Amino acid sequence: MDPLAELKQTFFQECEELLGALEQKLQALDEGSNDPEDVNAAFRAIHSIKGGAGAFGCTELVAFAHVFEASLDHLRSGRVAIEDAPFTLFLRCSDAVADLVAAARNDEQAVERPDLLAALEQVGQEPQAPAPVAVAAPAPAAPPIPASTPAAEADAPPGIAALGNLLAMVEAKTGTTPAKADDGWDDEEPAAAPEPAAAKPGRDVKLRIAPETDLFRRVIEPRVVLGSLPADDVVEIRCDLSQVPPLESLDVTDCWMRFDVALRTQLSVEELHGRFDFSLANEEFEIAFSAEQPAVTEVPVAEAAPAAEVSSSVAADLSAILAKLGPAPEAQQAEPEIQPAPVAALAAAPAPAPEAAPVLRTPPRAPANDQAAARQRQAVSVRVDLDRIDKLMNLVGEIVITQSMLVECVRSLPYDVYAKTAEGILTLSRQTRELQDHVMAVRAQPVKAVFQRMPRLVRELAQTLGKEVRLVLEGENTEVDKTIIEELADPLTHMIRNSMDHGLETPDERVEAGKAREGTIKLIAEHRAGRIVISVTDDGRGINRDRLLAKARSRGLVGADERLQPEEIDQLIFAAGLSTAEVVSDVSGRGVGMDVVRRNVESLGGRISVDSEPGRGCKFTLALPLTLAVLEGMVIRCGDDRYVIPIASVIETQHLASTPIERLPFGQEVLRWRGEVTPLYRLGDVMGSMGTTHENIVIIAETERGNNVGIAVDEIVGQQQVVVKSLEANYGAVNGASAATILGDGLVALILDIDSMLRLAASGERNHPLSDLKMAG
Amino acid sequence: MTLQLGEKHFSSAQPEAAARRIVTFKVGDRTFGIDVGMVREIKGWQATTPLPHAAQHVRGVLNLRGVILAVYDLRTAIGMGVTDATATHVIVVVDVEDKTAGLLVDSVSDIVDVPVSAVRPAPDLERDEHGLIEGLVLLDTDIVALLDLAAVIRDGGAETQLKTSRAA
Repeated sequence: MDPLAELKQTFFQECEELLGALEQKLQALDEGSNDPEDVNAAFRAIHSIKGGAGAFGCTELVAFAHVFEASLDHLRSGRVAIEDAPFTLFLRCSDAVADLVAAARNDEQAVERPDLLAALEQVGQEPQAPAPVAVAAPAPAAPPIPASTPAAEADAPPGIAALGNLLAMVEAKTGTTPAKADDGWDDEEPAAAPEPAAAKPGRDVKLRIAPETDLFRRVIEPRVVLGSLPADDVVEIRCDLSQVPPLESLDVTDCWMRFDVALRTQLSVEELHGRFDFSLANEEFEIAFSAEQPAVTEVPVAEAAPAAEVSSSVAADLSAILAKLGPAPEAQQAEPEIQPAPVAALAAAPAPAPEAAPVLRTPPRAPANDQAAARQRQAVSVRVDLDRIDKLMNLVGEIVITQSMLVECVRSLPYDVYAKTAEGILTLSRQTRELQDHVMAVRAQPVKAVFQRMPRLVRELAQTLGKEVRLVLEGENTEVDKTIIEELADPLTHMIRNSMDHGLETPDERVEAGKAREGTIKLIAEHRAGRIVISVTDDGRGINRDRLLAKARSRGLVGADERLQPEEIDQLIFAAGLSTAEVVSDVSGRGVGMDVVRRNVESLGGRISVDSEPGRGCKFTLALPLTLAVLEGMVIRCGDDRYVIPIASVIETQHLASTPIERLPFGQEVLRWRGEVTPLYRLGDVMGSMGTTHENIVIIAETERGNNVGIAVDEIVGQQQVVVKSLEANYGAVNGASAATILGDGLVALILDIDSMLRLAASGERNHPLSDLKMAG
Repeated sequence: MTLQLGEKHFSSAQPEAAARRIVTFKVGDRTFGIDVGMVREIKGWQATTPLPHAAQHVRGVLNLRGVILAVYDLRTAIGMGVTDATATHVIVVVDVEDKTAGLLVDSVSDIVDVPVSAVRPAPDLERDEHGLIEGLVLLDTDIVALLDLAAVIRDGGAETQLKTSRAA
């Protein structure tokens, strides 16, 4: 792959993460978090997407992201109160951005969303309408540039764009503000008051803002920093450029600007601190209550020159810097669609940059910037191809088998040799295990990756179906193997669709039934009995058993005279070709859904079940193994056969002799364990073990529903890590077992699945039907 | 143990374009054959782990270099009882559809080239209710029954699972 394509790939990967973050933050805000940090995070996400998109020439994406970003910026600047912001619109826009990203990724023509764009443009329009010009009071807190950033920025890394912005600001100021007697350039103060400080109540405060050089990479612009000060209070802002290194050694993404701000304010130190909370670290600014001149390096360019000249010379200086900075030319050529003023100012910059600017320098920047922005919160990370981890995992699996083989070999050695090797073997096992844990940890990911796609699904479906739905997510940080994560998306999508379409009623129906208009769907993930259990619960009407049964009968799935328990009827929802939807929509109703889900889930060694309560709702539960690769198992023997029980399901083991066994009227054996009646199953009977069994041990195990059962076995052989090998790959699902493994002697042992075993025991099946077939011989 | 197979050409076969190359093996005194392309390897008998409630002709599963595959007893599949497997018995590892499986037979006899025209359709045998025989080839000495491997295996695994999972 050529480097650019590779970078592009990385960009799209990052987009996915950024989109996830964007959506999550907007969702939180929509639910009323009112947290400015959420706004900032959302803004950063869309900003990063825009930056990267510009670098790769995804123009539609840039255009949309730009408008989106601009309206989010109104929230950031406080022009639009967070409480009043149209987050529903923003969420739809985030969906649209996702679509645009997908289109860009697949090189498809993106669908244009003029409706959304128009709606976005409306955001923050009203507050601008009143003209503060008449009053002597200054401009609003937000800088004089109406939208957030010029379109030009999209083509350049954020750092340059930020410089461009600042420059635009400077230009705008010098253009509109008459010269003033004091030196430096004023930002917010209109020409009206020559001695504003004296006229205003409050204290004189000197602010020294010295941001770290990575300011731009944190996607923070000086404009934002300064904009967070109350505009009325600003007496003077000076830019100190003395730190700027020689152009040869200047990294354009470094911020070298320092600001000295004179304020006359009634705000306390704490309040001033608060203003910079989200943009600056504490050590990046100093607040001093003094009338003295700031004890800092003087602004060199501003020193001697009269005001007007100074302003323009700062501007010229910046323009010159910009012009020398390679990627800038694009910025200057950008269409002035949104902000004629700054672009014009840029165009007027004295030194047009050479055409041959190394444009390719930009792409690597975009991802780098994103990461830098996230750096403060995340540890440094590396992207690794999943294939490589899989290979590593396979290798670890082989080592585990070899190691258990070694253990077996060593046992047969004469004692003195054995004693010598035993320690080494022990260390080896420990290290192998550690190695395995680490590799597993690398593969583990929070289910969030899948969960965060669901709000969008719910939103879109709610619109299509005309239902009001609240989605509650729980346990998003539950970790599970990457391979499982990937397989989760489809089943979950189906399950949620099913709940929304069949489960939840329309708002009117709900009101009639005495429920809240808004339906609730809960999506919960948790670890239980060595599995990840994910449930989708709705508070809708539940499964319509009559209709389901009638349909099943008409399809011949259930005999006309067959009587089914209500729970059995519910399970029919997983039968192929059944759908109770009255209208076949594009959402569901074609009867391919839950049976597909079941098949997918079972092929992963998982299970799906449904609990329904008519009128109250329905709960689908999905139980999947945490990993498809390795598990810690207890090797047991029953008759001639050995089995592995996942340690995660084992609660306790004890001697059968010490446990009194009782018999229930129907013949089910039970034992008392910790004061509870626990059913007992004899493994040899259930699994049809060969040879004669002498059960000595009972293993108390936990089922997915959290019940306990006793399993009688002959002997516990040992405990070891086993590599999970699929039985489905070359054979098919085996009742009672989730998979198989290879023991140290090279023989295969089945890995027991408690729940499936119990069902096998309950079904009473003991022999295969084929044996009944008459075969001539 | 891997058997090295000698090759013997079908006696009357001309170098014909449409020829089938067939591996033949024995169960008792009967000869069966499958296309050589389906055979992945041939190995000596190795102990298998029985599967609970599987079809009778499923001997169990074994580990072939880290891959787990099921072994089917051809003798049981054709209704001739259960093979008392010893070290001299042979497992023919075959690729059927997208799966790998082992076929337990008494011994592997030969590889023969037969013209397609020499393959006769299987007579409508009442006994072969599962349609395990796909066709017959008449050799000089004996009759080779060409196996429909998919049928042999299907009646071992899939059907069982279908019934048990419905019951479950």
